Amino acid sequence: MSDRASRAAGTRSIEAIQDDFRERGYICDRSLSTAVFLALELGRPILLEGEAGVGKTELAKVLALSLGARLIRLQCYEGLDVNTAVYEWNYPRQMLEIRLLEARGEIARATAHDIFGPEFLLRRPLLQALEAVDGADGAAAVPPVLLIDEIDRADEEFEAYLLEILSDFQVTVPEIGTIRAEQPPRVVLTSNRTREVHDALKRRCLYHWIDYPTRQKEFEIVLARVPDAPERLAREVVEFVHRLREADLTKVPGIAETLDWAAALMSLGARELAPELVDETLGVVLKYEEDIRQVRGDTARRYLAEASVRP
Amino acid sequence: MTTDPAIARTPRGEEIDGRRLLAVAVDFGRALRAAGLAVDLGAEIDFARALGLVHLAERDEVRAAGAAVFVRRRDDRAVYDRVFDRFWRARRPFPSDGPASPTTLPEPETVEPPDEGADAEPEAGIDEAGAEREAGTAIAGYEDLPPDDEGPVEGVIAAPDAYSAGELLRHREFDKMTAAELRDAERLVDLLVPRLEQRRTRRYELHDHGRLLAPRAMFRRNLATGGQLTTWVWQRPARRPRPIVVLCDISGSMERHSRLLLRFIQALAASSAVRTESFVFGTRLTRVTRLLRDRDRDRALSRVAESVNDWAGGTRIGESFREFNLRWARRTLRTSGVVIVVSDGWDRGDPLLVETETARLRRNCHRLVWLNPLAGTPGYQPLAAGMRAAYPYIDDFLPAGTVASLERLGEILAGVRAGDTRRGGEAAATVTSAGPSHPIRVPVALETTAGDPSVARPLTR
Repeated sequence: MSDRASRAAGTRSIEAIQDDFRERGYICDRSLSTAVFLALELGRPILLEGEAGVGKTELAKVLALSLGARLIRLQCYEGLDVNTAVYEWNYPRQMLEIRLLEARGEIARATAHDIFGPEFLLRRPLLQALEAVDGADGAAAVPPVLLIDEIDRADEEFEAYLLEILSDFQVTVPEIGTIRAEQPPRVVLTSNRTREVHDALKRRCLYHWIDYPTRQKEFEIVLARVPDAPERLAREVVEFVHRLREADLTKVPGIAETLDWAAALMSLGARELAPELVDETLGVVLKYEEDIRQVRGDTARRYLAEASVRP
Repeated sequence: MTTDPAIARTPRGEEIDGRRLLAVAVDFGRALRAAGLAVDLGAEIDFARALGLVHLAERDEVRAAGAAVFVRRRDDRAVYDRVFDRFWRARRPFPSDGPASPTTLPEPETVEPPDEGADAEPEAGIDEAGAEREAGTAIAGYEDLPPDDEGPVEGVIAAPDAYSAGELLRHREFDKMTAAELRDAERLVDLLVPRLEQRRTRRYELHDHGRLLAPRAMFRRNLATGGQLTTWVWQRPARRPRPIVVLCDISGSMERHSRLLLRFIQALAASSAVRTESFVFGTRLTRVTRLLRDRDRDRALSRVAESVNDWAGGTRIGESFREFNLRWARRTLRTSGVVIVVSDGWDRGDPLLVETETARLRRNCHRLVWLNPLAGTPGYQPLAAGMRAAYPYIDDFLPAGTVASLERLGEILAGVRAGDTRRGGEAAATVTSAGPSHPIRVPVALETTAGDPSVARPLTR
């Protein structure tokens, strides 16, 4: 049974998800794939919390690829409102339409539909997610994956509105009516935990905290994502970053920084870490001046010595 | 075979009794709730459904499934794991076929909650309903556990700021504030709240004095005239008061003053217009926001007193600030809030740590206000090492402990001040971890600068 067909038939399993993700370069542990599996089976949104750079957004992307679905992304920020997130009327175009009707003398016969027709509705991500039907396969339309990124940056008004949408998966546009999703989208929310997401929203979702990976896992991630990296370099990079994570830094580097560093070192033609190289490229891993100052020099050399000794 | 509708087939082809699953889910949810997690019936139902989807024999899968459903915050995970281990310890894997297989497990016992006063509900309801519930679903009663076990899941941190009462060293009369003081504080707050310093937000509100046109509102309002834009509607950025974070030193000498300020904060928090977060610190930092929200204000303060168990210790300002900066700053100060520190500056820790952490604190907030009860006394100079270290990064250095000082604080929060002295910001921007740019001189002799004995005196070392 082909992969796609088995998905379409609904026979999903935790192992299948984990393996498929791994093939696509996303290495996750069993508990995360269990949570994803349950979210898909139970039809719940999933809330991923964790430090910056651990792979929350990546998971949504990989999930979309794995399901063969479209990824619709809504980036949250303070002040995000209905008009930016759900829909907006194209006012200038509506005004022009009114003028045109007047000019053609048809204004007497014009109805609300002429002005508030679907062609004047600007669909923003949440509405797109409700309406989207990916019929490219033919038979089975795959509902999209809706990524609501950094929900902790949005404010409480928006959360309340989002809760409404996630409960019923429908949106009411007063002029048109209610738009309901035939197949509810798969929703992934991410949060950097700069504030607590509201309880009501959390209750609606399944939850998973994504932690920093173990050395072995991060090593596999580097090999998967930076394919040409020599094993020795990958291992040393991972060891070094793990030491950084144990140090007292303002901003602990995430997996994204590890991958960036590996790629940067590769582009410099390095096959292993050397002290000068580390000092030069430390800005790829550490983003705060005080952190760089703290690590550069002796501390970096010490970490490097420890990182090289381990097999 | 039975045609019981509750018997379902899992995707794996096993037969499972839905009622049993639900019963187990409800019991497990109850155990979690007793340990302090917020668990509702919807989550229990989800867990029952989830059990039908995973390998029941695989402990880790069941654990992960429960975590996805029941654990709502990262801090709860440790509690969840402990309850999970206890709950399922004596349990065998689910028998995968229907009715009774004889087991030797005893009848299900009542799940004992910790001593926080929650009622122990007997499981009579479930027993009656599930007469066929053989002991495969029996919850291991806590009496069954081997004697070296600790008993019910007590001492597990329930909500992050409810602590067990058992560790007190000394109990203070924290809540015996005079009625006059209380009234004064509350009156001040009532006067203050409408004037609190507003900050512009990114949301817009309709307002006649706005400078920006509001196109959506305009079009709506002008539909009557067929789109002729005869009525112009304006908008401007909405304004909201800045969030306030209070870090209150409650060690020894500070207690009387911090009491008054916490009253002030209680009243402030009661008005929903302002977001306030409250922390107390001595040798370590404790968040007390939720405790202070108690309607009964006296009880709130006594609970705060109970929750802190280092009354006898000295103050460690640097460590406490550090913990705040690492754990709480991003979450509570995200929209450029005002930090109010109430402390006399006497510190047992490293002054260098105080300096770097105060600088970091200043960088994390919009304005840093420091209330020092010694500051009102004539001739006071910040000689204590801790106070000296923090001084350059403070925007407003005020006396504390009197109603007059609260008025002054109110003025600052309302944005009314003579001469904008946000000088702390520049100093904070230039400090680096390489050390302070100026040497800190630690005074040789530690003596009080206050002549009045009733004024707070520093801790003796």
